[in-house]
Amino acid sequence: MPDKHLSSQFDADLNSLSSRLLEMGGLVESQISTAMRAFTQMDLDTCNIVIENEKLVNDLEIQIDLACTELIARRQPTARDLRLVMAVSKAITNLERAGDEAERVAKRTKRLIETGATYNINVAEIRLSGQMAITLLRRSLDAFARLDTIAAAEVVAEDRQIDEEFRGFVRKLMTYMSEDPHIISTGLDMLTIAKAIERIGDHAKNIAEFVIYIAKGADVRHIPHEDLVREANKP
Amino acid sequence: MSNLSNVNKAIFAKRKRSNKIGLTLSMGAMVLGMIFLFWILSVLVIKGFSALDISLFINSTPAPGSEGGGLANAIVGSILLVGCCTLISTPIGVLAGLYLSEYGDRSRVASVTRFVTDIMLSAPSIVIGLFVYAFVVAQVRHFSGWAGTIALALIAVPVVVRTTENMLRLVPGSLREAAYALGTPKWKVAFKITLRAAQSGVMTGILLALARISGETAPLLFTALNNQFFSTNMNAPMANLPVVIFQFAMSPYDNWVELAWGGALLITFAVLALNILARVVFREKVQG
Amino acid sequence: MKTMFDLNRIDSQGGVVETSKQESEQAAINALEVRNLNFYYGSFQGLKDINLDIEQGKVTAFIGPSGCGKSTLLRTLNRMYDLYPGQRAEGEINFYGQNILASGQDLNLLRSRIGMVFQKPTPFPMSIYENIAFGVRLYEKLSRSEMDERVEWALNKAALWNEAKDKLNQSGLSLSGGQQQRLCIARGVAVKPSVILLDEPTSALDPISTGKIEELINELKHEYTIAIVTHNMQQAARVSDYTAYMYLGSLIEYGKTDDIFIKPKRKETEDYITGRFG
Repeated sequence: MPDKHLSSQFDADLNSLSSRLLEMGGLVESQISTAMRAFTQMDLDTCNIVIENEKLVNDLEIQIDLACTELIARRQPTARDLRLVMAVSKAITNLERAGDEAERVAKRTKRLIETGATYNINVAEIRLSGQMAITLLRRSLDAFARLDTIAAAEVVAEDRQIDEEFRGFVRKLMTYMSEDPHIISTGLDMLTIAKAIERIGDHAKNIAEFVIYIAKGADVRHIPHEDLVREANKP
Repeated sequence: MSNLSNVNKAIFAKRKRSNKIGLTLSMGAMVLGMIFLFWILSVLVIKGFSALDISLFINSTPAPGSEGGGLANAIVGSILLVGCCTLISTPIGVLAGLYLSEYGDRSRVASVTRFVTDIMLSAPSIVIGLFVYAFVVAQVRHFSGWAGTIALALIAVPVVVRTTENMLRLVPGSLREAAYALGTPKWKVAFKITLRAAQSGVMTGILLALARISGETAPLLFTALNNQFFSTNMNAPMANLPVVIFQFAMSPYDNWVELAWGGALLITFAVLALNILARVVFREKVQG
Repeated sequence: MKTMFDLNRIDSQGGVVETSKQESEQAAINALEVRNLNFYYGSFQGLKDINLDIEQGKVTAFIGPSGCGKSTLLRTLNRMYDLYPGQRAEGEINFYGQNILASGQDLNLLRSRIGMVFQKPTPFPMSIYENIAFGVRLYEKLSRSEMDERVEWALNKAALWNEAKDKLNQSGLSLSGGQQQRLCIARGVAVKPSVILLDEPTSALDPISTGKIEELINELKHEYTIAIVTHNMQQAARVSDYTAYMYLGSLIEYGKTDDIFIKPKRKETEDYITGRFG
């Protein structure tokens, strides 16, 4: 069964598109883990690294989007190729926003450091969900590289856990803030950081949904989870 | 690079030489042909010009020994014979050609027809004349213009059949298919589309057949014979130019010989005019 | 003009009114139903067990590599193959319920109901007016003014009226290639068939003429059923509602054009349309 186009340039262009997406994904992954490290260690320099590198993420988004447009203009892709290009175009938006969230974490951490706020809020949930978000993003990019829809369906399911962690942290925060109004400012910064991580998880989930779209042709956004799993498992 | 251009030069020079040789040979052949053509034409004009005056067209052929005279009866007779022949042979030839091209492509009847047509095309005209003599003239026991017409038709029809069939075959199949695709019945496709598309070619074929029979002498010798007087009665011997020329050319009378040359000139230029007309018709329609 | 996006409307209370679903659920009538069609050129089998429906009022495109049988299939639909001995078809083709492969059919009448336009423009050797009147006169008796109207109507339908109205008496061959092809389309439309078959109608034309004819197909499809054979996949994607992919005489996949070009069911189909010819 032939998997190569008659035009080798077309093959090269499509492969390049996929690998550049993975490259951008890797960069965003490292941004998130650097931001989490900055938060855990409360280190100003590490925050600044994240904030500076955000520009690279934005540049990649623009470049890859242009590559998608050029591919459509030149090749008029159909079927699987078309789905790939459409999905890449959308996935890089998700990645860019995930990068924004990482920058937000770094900026809030920086503010926490600069205002000298020490937290006596237990931030275990943030650290935990931060790890989970990084893992989830890595697994969604893995699933993209292999077009593995089963792994993608698992990513979609596990994003819920991050949501759970976030809700738990909000409840805890509310208790703290109602007891001691002085920590409200710090608490709000923490809330923003927790929300940013929760959003990163959502972006990873979106990328996983696109994997199913590319491989199976089914648009699984906004459908019940059982239906998504069914589509992912279709031969 | 430099020795490459040397090699090229040698090849180029050789090509130039053989080109020149070929050109010279073919020009020589053409000139040879043209020499004879112009020789014949100039002899015709020189010898026949003196006969060209109004009396040629008004007076009939003179009796032996009498002075003057013209070719009026022969001219009119030839026109009648050729005209009647065309009227008969055109429908028969075109319809037969149509049948061969459109209907009978592979049938036995078609291949037999084609075979017979080909033989008739190269049949000696004197044989045809003799045949008509035996079956028409001998039966009714007199020569006639009709017999002459029949003999000429037997020569003209194969020509028309052949050219019609060939011209119809040149019409692209896609045109026929387009007509069929509209629901056109077969006969209408043949007549109104295919024939119409080939009409200039078919007409050319008719004109060429005309030109051919204008000059035929042998068949008329046994059939229409000749007539010294002016007559338009097709049931009787009919005067005609080729036979008159035949009779007058070898005679001892000067006015007869002069008239013979005049007649030859007339026939030649009539055939020339027909050929030119055929070319004009064909080119016009093709470019139309 | 209905667009792809006229799918749902919001009514005055904010409720969603699904419109297109209603319309497509109206019974789809098939102009032609092909059943178990096998076709032979002498001993060579050109079509193998074809089964498909051609829906009324829609454009159905046939795509596939050279020799796949798409033109052969088109030419069975109006029995053009009958002109050539040695070609025969077995099976059924139902034209509004009537099997046109049965013996004893009036083929000329059939071909006036199912018209065809070919790849090479073939205007008849007559004036533009006569080109169109020729087909009409075969089956209808019209007065001079009625015929004038019909000619104008047909030329309008083919988007040729403005360019041709001042030279109706000039030969059809005096038009440009694209105009000649539109004349052939006008000629086919003038006899008011139910189905129009187009066999690679724009292969021989430049992009602008091609575009004009594709626009024409878009307008004609409301009143006629159209089947088009094309080796240009993008054209099939642009103009058709349904697409059939054929390979080596068999029908590999048949479905809505959007489905075929976004998520085809068969890998062979996907390989062909994405350019993975192997």
